[in-house]
Amino acid sequence: MVHDVFTFLVGGKAGEGVKKAGSVAAHIFSSLGRQVFQMDDYMSLIRGGHNFSVVSTSSRRITSQYMKANLVVNFDKRSCDAHINDVTKGGIVIFNSDEQENADGIGIPLSSEAEKYPMKKLMYGVGAVAILSSTIGMSKDQMDQNIKNQYPRGIEDNIKFAGTIYEIVKAECQNKYPLERGENERPIMTGNDAISLGAIAGGLDTYYGYPMTPASSILHFLAKQANNFGLAVIHAESELAVINMAIGSAFTGARSMVGTSGGGFALMTEGISLAGITETPILCVLSMRPGPATGVPTYTEQADLNFALSAGHGDFLRIIASPGTVEEAYYLTSEMLNLVWKFQTPGILLTEKHLSESSMTIDLNIDDAKWAEPKMHNGGNYKRYLDTDDGISPMLFPPSKEIIKWNSYEHDEIGITTESADMIAKMHNKRNKKLNALIEHLKTQNTVNIIQGEHPTNIITYGSTYMSVLEALKYGGLNPTIVQPIYLSPLPVWELEKFKNQDNIVIEQSITGQFASLLREKAGLNIRSVIKRYDGRPFDPIELSIKIKEELE
Amino acid sequence: MENLKTNAEITWCPGCGNFGIFTALRNAIPKLEAKGIKRKDIVITAGIGCHAKIFDYLNLSGLYGLHGRNSSNAEGMKIANPDLKIITFSGDGNGLGEGLAHTIFAAKRNQDITMILHNNSVYALTTGQYSPLTEKGWKGPSTPRGSIETPFNAISLMLEVGATFIARTFAGEITHLTDIIVQAIEHKGFSFIEVLQPAVPYHSWNEYREKVEFLEKLPETYEEAMKTAKNKHKDTLGIFYKTQRPVYHEGLYGNHNPLTKRLSRNDRITKIKQILFG
Repeated sequence: MVHDVFTFLVGGKAGEGVKKAGSVAAHIFSSLGRQVFQMDDYMSLIRGGHNFSVVSTSSRRITSQYMKANLVVNFDKRSCDAHINDVTKGGIVIFNSDEQENADGIGIPLSSEAEKYPMKKLMYGVGAVAILSSTIGMSKDQMDQNIKNQYPRGIEDNIKFAGTIYEIVKAECQNKYPLERGENERPIMTGNDAISLGAIAGGLDTYYGYPMTPASSILHFLAKQANNFGLAVIHAESELAVINMAIGSAFTGARSMVGTSGGGFALMTEGISLAGITETPILCVLSMRPGPATGVPTYTEQADLNFALSAGHGDFLRIIASPGTVEEAYYLTSEMLNLVWKFQTPGILLTEKHLSESSMTIDLNIDDAKWAEPKMHNGGNYKRYLDTDDGISPMLFPPSKEIIKWNSYEHDEIGITTESADMIAKMHNKRNKKLNALIEHLKTQNTVNIIQGEHPTNIITYGSTYMSVLEALKYGGLNPTIVQPIYLSPLPVWELEKFKNQDNIVIEQSITGQFASLLREKAGLNIRSVIKRYDGRPFDPIELSIKIKEELE
Repeated sequence: MENLKTNAEITWCPGCGNFGIFTALRNAIPKLEAKGIKRKDIVITAGIGCHAKIFDYLNLSGLYGLHGRNSSNAEGMKIANPDLKIITFSGDGNGLGEGLAHTIFAAKRNQDITMILHNNSVYALTTGQYSPLTEKGWKGPSTPRGSIETPFNAISLMLEVGATFIARTFAGEITHLTDIIVQAIEHKGFSFIEVLQPAVPYHSWNEYREKVEFLEKLPETYEEAMKTAKNKHKDTLGIFYKTQRPVYHEGLYGNHNPLTKRLSRNDRITKIKQILFG
C-alpha cells in the first residue's frame, strides 16, 4: 500500500460502465466513512477506445488520485497494456481471460460470463465492483446491497453476475486489502457540481451554455435542477448567443452565469467586452482543457490564464479567480457572483477539467455561501451610469417609470451614446475607479491560501494543481510553505509582498509557465524554477513529490 | 408622443427612412397603452448600424447591444422576466448577416418578442457595402464589379424557420407601419416586421414609392403564405402570416417567472442540503 492510501483502477472501452464502476467504488469507500478522490480519464468518443477511472481512498483527507493502484481491473487487452506499470508492488491485476490468454495477473472469464445476460458488456462494471468488494473484504450481502442501490436497472441479473465473479476471484483476492473505517460518511461531489450549487446558493436565476467539455456537466446539472430551484437553464445556438442572452437576462436583474471551455470562451469574448462597457454583472465559468483550438477535449491544462486575463477588447475591469479544491469551488462561485453584482463587471471563474470532472468527498458548510446583492437606486431621477466616488452606479431594473439605458457605445451618465472627448475620459475614469474599490474590498477577504511550512522554500500554485501539490507533499513528507492565490485578477499583491525576496518554486500545467510570469510581472516575485506538466494529465502525487524533493534539496 | 423622445442629437441623414419608423413607433406606444400594455413594461434592444440609433432617440428602457446580437439580448430578457414586452431593432446586415443565426433561432423558438428589421438593403453606416438583402449587381466599395450574390427573401426565410407573425411594411406608409407594429407587439410569439426604408445616399424615396403594392388579404394557410412570399415582388406590403403556437418561455417553465418568483436564500440552502444529505 502507498502509505495510508488504497487505490482502485478500472479500465476498458467506453460503454462498458468504467466510469460508473469508479463512482460506485467511490460510494462504497465513502459509505465506510473514508475519504475519496476519483479521476476519470476518457477519450473524446462514445463507444470503444480506452477509458479508465482511478479512485484513491484514505481514512484522512485525500486530494489526488494515485497512478499506482492496489487493484487494477482491466476489461480488455488495451487496458492491460496501458496500465502495466500502474500497479503497486504486490498489488492485484485482473485481466479478461476471454480476450487474452497470457498476461500478468489473475485471468477471469469476464466476457463469457457477461454474455449469459441480456445486458452483456454493460455488466463489466458490475464485475469490477464485485472484484473490489471481495478484495476489500466486503461480505456478499453488503455487496448485493450496494449493487441494488447503485445499479437500479436489471437488479436480479446484476446481483447474480456479481455473485459469480465474486466467487471466481475469492481464492486470490478475498480480504487482501481490508479497509479501515473512517469517522463519518461524506457526500461525493465533482467540481462542476460544486460550481453549480455555489451559483444557486449565491442567487443564480438564469444559466446559459453550449455543450463543451469539460464545462457541459454544469449545464446538465443545472438543467436537471431547474424546476427544483425555479431557474431558467438554456442550451443556446452558440456561445455568442449564450453570453448575449445572459447579458439580456442580467439587464432585468437576473443573476446570470455562463460556462464553457477555451474555444467557446473565444467566441464569448466580444460579450465579455460588452459586459465591460455596459457594466453588466456576469459570471463566466472557464474550464480549461489542453489547447490551442480543439486541442484535447477531455483532458486537463492551465494554459488559458493569459487569455482570461485579457479577454475582451478594451480597458475594463475583469475579476478572475480560481478555486483550489471542490469545496472552494462552491464558496468561490457564490462569492464571485456577489462580486460581479457588487462591482457590475464581468467575472471569470477559472478552473480546469481536473477540478470540473474529478470527484471527491467533501466537508462543506452550505450556509457559508455568499448572496449576490447589487447597490440599488433609491428614488429620484435615475442615471444608469451615475458617476460616484467608487465608480459604482446604483442599479434599477424594469419595470420602472424611470428610463434605464445600458449602452455598448461609450455613453453619458444617462446611457446615451457619446463621442465627446470629456465624456469618454470621464466614463473611463468612472469605470476605472471600480478597481480600487474592488482591491479595498478584497483586502478584507481571504484571497490567498497559505499553509505555513518549515522548509525555507515556498511552493506557489493555483487551481486544481493545488490539490495535486497538497497530496504530493503529504506523500513525500515534505513541508515547504504552500501559497495558493485564489484571485488572479486583481492579483492580491498585498498578500504576496512577503514572499518577494524568498525562494519560490511554481507548479502549474502550462508549457510557457503563464502563472509564473504573472507572479513575476505583477507581484515582482523571484521564482527559482517552475515545475510544469502539459501532457493533458494531472500530476501524480508520487512523481510530483520526487520533483519537488529534487528542487528542495 | 413627444415624451417618447430623448434629448439626444439625431444623426440620421435628412430624409432618412428611419424617421418614418421612429414616428410610427412613437404613434404605436400610446395605442398599445390604450390597449392596456404598460409603457414601463416595454423594453428595447438594438444592434449596431443606422437602425440602432433609434435606441438613443426613444425614451424607453433597454440595452444597446453589439452588432447582430440584439435578438439574443432580447431573448435573455424575455426568459428572465416574461412580464416584459420586448422590441428588438435590427438592420438587414445586422439581423440577417452578422446575427442571422440568432434571428433564425429566436423565430425557431417562437420567443415572444417583436423584431423590427429596418431594411435599407445596404450597409449604410459603413459607407454602402452590399447587404444580405441587396439586389445582385450592387456596386459598393467592397463589390466594385457588382455583388454576385442573390439576396435572401426575408419573408419566406422567416416562414421557413418558424416566426408566427410575419409582415412587410414601408417607412413611407406611417399609418400602415404603425398598425403593423401595434399588431406585432400584441401578438404572442415571435413577430417579424420587415420595414422598407430608403437610406437616402443610396436609394431615393421614389424608387420605393413607384414599386410598393399592398397584399389584398392575409394568406389563410402556411402554404399560401409561402407561395405569396415567393411569388410577390419584394416591395409587396402587408401581413403574410399570422398563427399561434406555444411560446418558448412557457414551454420552458410554464407560468413561472425566474425573476419575480425567485427562491429566497433560505429556501435554496434548504434544498441544497436535501440534495447533499437527503
